[in-house]
Amino acid sequence: MPTNLVINGEDRISSRGSMTPLIDVLRDEFFLTGAKVACREGICGACTVHLDGRPVVSCLVPLGTVEGRDVRTVESLAVAGEPSPLQLIMEEHDVVQCGMCFPGILMVLTSFFQERPHAERDEIKAALVGNICRCTGYERLVDAAVALARRS
Amino acid sequence: MATADPSGVVMNLPRRDARDKLLGRTRYTVDRMPPRMLHAAVLRSEVASARIIRIDTTRARQMPGVRAIALAEDAPGMHGIGIADHPLFASGVIRFHGEQIAAVAADTYEQAQAAARAIEVELEPLPPVLTMADALAPGAPLVHPDWKSYEILFEGGARGGNVAWEATVIRGDTDTAFARDDVVIVESCFRVGRQNHVSLEARAVIATYEDGRYHIETSTQVPWTVRNMTAKLLGVPASQVHVTVPPVGGAFGQKFDCTLEPYAAILARKSGQPVRLVYSRQEEMLTCLCRENADIKIRSAVTEKGEIVGREAVVLMDCGAYGGEQIFLTTMTAHTLGGNYKLGSIKLATRAIYTNTPPNGAFRACNGVYNTFALERHTDEICEAIGMDPLEFKRRNVLGDGDLGATGQVFEGDVLGSMLDRMERLREKSPSKKHLAGDRLYGRATVVGTWFIFVGPSTATINLNADGSATLITAGVELGQGTMVQALPQIVAHELGIHPDDIIVRNADTDAAGFDLGVGGGRTTVSVGAASVAAAADVRNKILNIASELLQTRPERLVLRNGRVEIAGIEGSGTTIAKVVQRAHQVTGPVVGSGSFTNPGVPAMPGCAAGHFIDAIDIPVFNVHDCEVAVDPETGHVEILSYKVVQDVGRALNPRAIHGQIQGGVTQGLGYALHEEHTIGEDGCIRQDSLETYRVPLALDTVPVEIDLYEGAPSIGPLGAKGAGEVPIMNPPAAVACAVARATGCRVQQTPLTPPRVLAHLLGREPAVELPHIADNWWDNVLTKPKTQ
Repeated sequence: MPTNLVINGEDRISSRGSMTPLIDVLRDEFFLTGAKVACREGICGACTVHLDGRPVVSCLVPLGTVEGRDVRTVESLAVAGEPSPLQLIMEEHDVVQCGMCFPGILMVLTSFFQERPHAERDEIKAALVGNICRCTGYERLVDAAVALARRS
Repeated sequence: MATADPSGVVMNLPRRDARDKLLGRTRYTVDRMPPRMLHAAVLRSEVASARIIRIDTTRARQMPGVRAIALAEDAPGMHGIGIADHPLFASGVIRFHGEQIAAVAADTYEQAQAAARAIEVELEPLPPVLTMADALAPGAPLVHPDWKSYEILFEGGARGGNVAWEATVIRGDTDTAFARDDVVIVESCFRVGRQNHVSLEARAVIATYEDGRYHIETSTQVPWTVRNMTAKLLGVPASQVHVTVPPVGGAFGQKFDCTLEPYAAILARKSGQPVRLVYSRQEEMLTCLCRENADIKIRSAVTEKGEIVGREAVVLMDCGAYGGEQIFLTTMTAHTLGGNYKLGSIKLATRAIYTNTPPNGAFRACNGVYNTFALERHTDEICEAIGMDPLEFKRRNVLGDGDLGATGQVFEGDVLGSMLDRMERLREKSPSKKHLAGDRLYGRATVVGTWFIFVGPSTATINLNADGSATLITAGVELGQGTMVQALPQIVAHELGIHPDDIIVRNADTDAAGFDLGVGGGRTTVSVGAASVAAAADVRNKILNIASELLQTRPERLVLRNGRVEIAGIEGSGTTIAKVVQRAHQVTGPVVGSGSFTNPGVPAMPGCAAGHFIDAIDIPVFNVHDCEVAVDPETGHVEILSYKVVQDVGRALNPRAIHGQIQGGVTQGLGYALHEEHTIGEDGCIRQDSLETYRVPLALDTVPVEIDLYEGAPSIGPLGAKGAGEVPIMNPPAAVACAVARATGCRVQQTPLTPPRVLAHLLGREPAVELPHIADNWWDNVLTKPKTQ
């Protein structure tokens, strides 16, 4: 049975089986490859997307549970090609390395800053415990996030 | 021509690939899906040692969606580094849990997996050899009974039975040194486990077979190795293999070998369709080419004044079922465990040992990480024995200008000593965090380390375009380290007097770029950089000759700056580089330059080193790290209170990017020091098969690293640069282990320092590491025989 869902503001229909992980639908059916498959067990956070505005690890979300729901991926953060303030500050601080974890980190922090726009460093670090980054050692990307929190 | 001021190359150039990575637009290998693409899955052994009686694919071939199956007969060749001991598929025998038996391509990944499971394999189990102690025991079963018949790819290593390779260093007379009556003899044993790279992008490849050639698009550090090894395994000419590399999602040494590419290549040829193979996280955890587990025994004869008159050590590296990178890495003991300090005499033996366990590989700074842990803990034990402050001991003993390394190479410059001074100043500048320890035990350590730049051959071509931009073509790969998007464009732009944004950097492509040893060992900035400088010099000469005619000025009086050819000292004079290129099109043709580089070969003392791939290091890289820890006596938990790094970088081309490498490398090292470890069960299978059980550092585990970049040490690198990405991981286990030992008063002999292990130390329940399989008499440990005895 096809599943109707809204992806990045557009109505979409997926014909995949109801147990298909959402991440595979996004990547293989709709070619939204921003979210990454890195562990398939909900640990690394690289596949994080927003489901009805809340961050979820899309490798653990079966397609059958998202009928009629709103999905937003990292591709939706930029508006008309213009990066979001969070994306811009990460670029300005030159914190990206291999980049595989950033789509997930950006989705987590975007949601976090909506609730806690002036968050302190420790809170930002705590918000990121579900995202594994193997390159950066976190601190510099946290510096960038702190700079954004101070700016807002 | 007046040469440009080298300091002009230095800038915090931002990464050009950052925006697309942040927008989610970057297409790594795992994101690519050509039309008609098939998915591959690998059938792996679930026992550690067995004879293969029968493999039957009849049922699997009839499964839905199956397009091709690859088996041992499709890959007749053997590969390896030093020794060709490794077939692509288990052939006749299984040597490790997880070994590849067959590969299947099908329309979907699920179909490929189902078909792989449907392959019938009949095995006769054999007793596995799972530890190095077992492998070295008298009468142990041989992992490779036919070891004598293997092709030798590099001469010089002693081999025999389960000893895949043995490298030795003998300089001076340690027997006399240890027999002196004015020395204290200190002996230490250490053991370390395996570390998994956990690159977020798993190993991944897409292969196609077109016009009689294989095109391999892969997540690798070594496009030329993949080209040559794939050809060797498949038994086809190397010219039939074409390798290109999309952006790579992390590697850290894991992708420094050809691994999964040949499976996809065979399946693509057989099916006539593109084939994608991506290892699952579980496959990555169980069969990753880890930093190897190792056993180390080291003893030193030291005078009361702290002079090290003799040192003997044996390092056993578990290479797993096949020799791989460990054969080469036996070389590095001489330059790490044998490094840092002045030694009157030395005997070192490093042996790569075969076991029926998953093969190991290269991981950022490789065995340098645990050799440095062992050396610095041993140094602390020496200081305790002779009653000397460890910092004082280091100051007296670190290698300085004119001192001899383990293999007798002569070091240049007083680098480590003055880096210790710089660390002292960094410590003065930034107050101790001891107060944060509260009721917990507090410890601090400053440690030193020596690594090297793995130089070797590279080449570069530069096309200077008629719009004034330049295209740099190399086989370098961007893994996330930044070299291809920062250091290289900066270097070339500096040489050509244009902005780095005007340097187009071609992605690695073995059909476009010449041979390169690959990205690893901190070599890209140095080797590809030096080749790029040579190519740029070639281009510059051509430009100046044409400009000289146009401007009626001798080439020596011309400079390249701001996209112009100017007369020296007269800003805004001359003409644009673009105009000169356009003129060249009329008189000589388009402007292209090429350059090459290889290691100059620093001499060692003849006769010191046997079985070494590198007798002396061309570019040493030194580290001084300082760490403060708090240890919770109730739980054994170790918290890092502060971390400081003084790193020898030659010239910092992009200081901000180097800071990023140091923060990231130190964090990986802290993971290895504190909680990352693979262990192997009785079935020969790695116990930690997911990120739930293998614990990598998370955001709350890290501390901001305080950094001082030490510039000006001798380097043959371009503009005096050294690679900066590899070495930050070297010292954290040493620093943490020494600090924890001082905090607790316990004899730390093993990492990682997990809370249970530290608590066991505090309760006196942590068993001492004793290594009975390493004999007390050094000669009893080696196949090498004494020359005069």
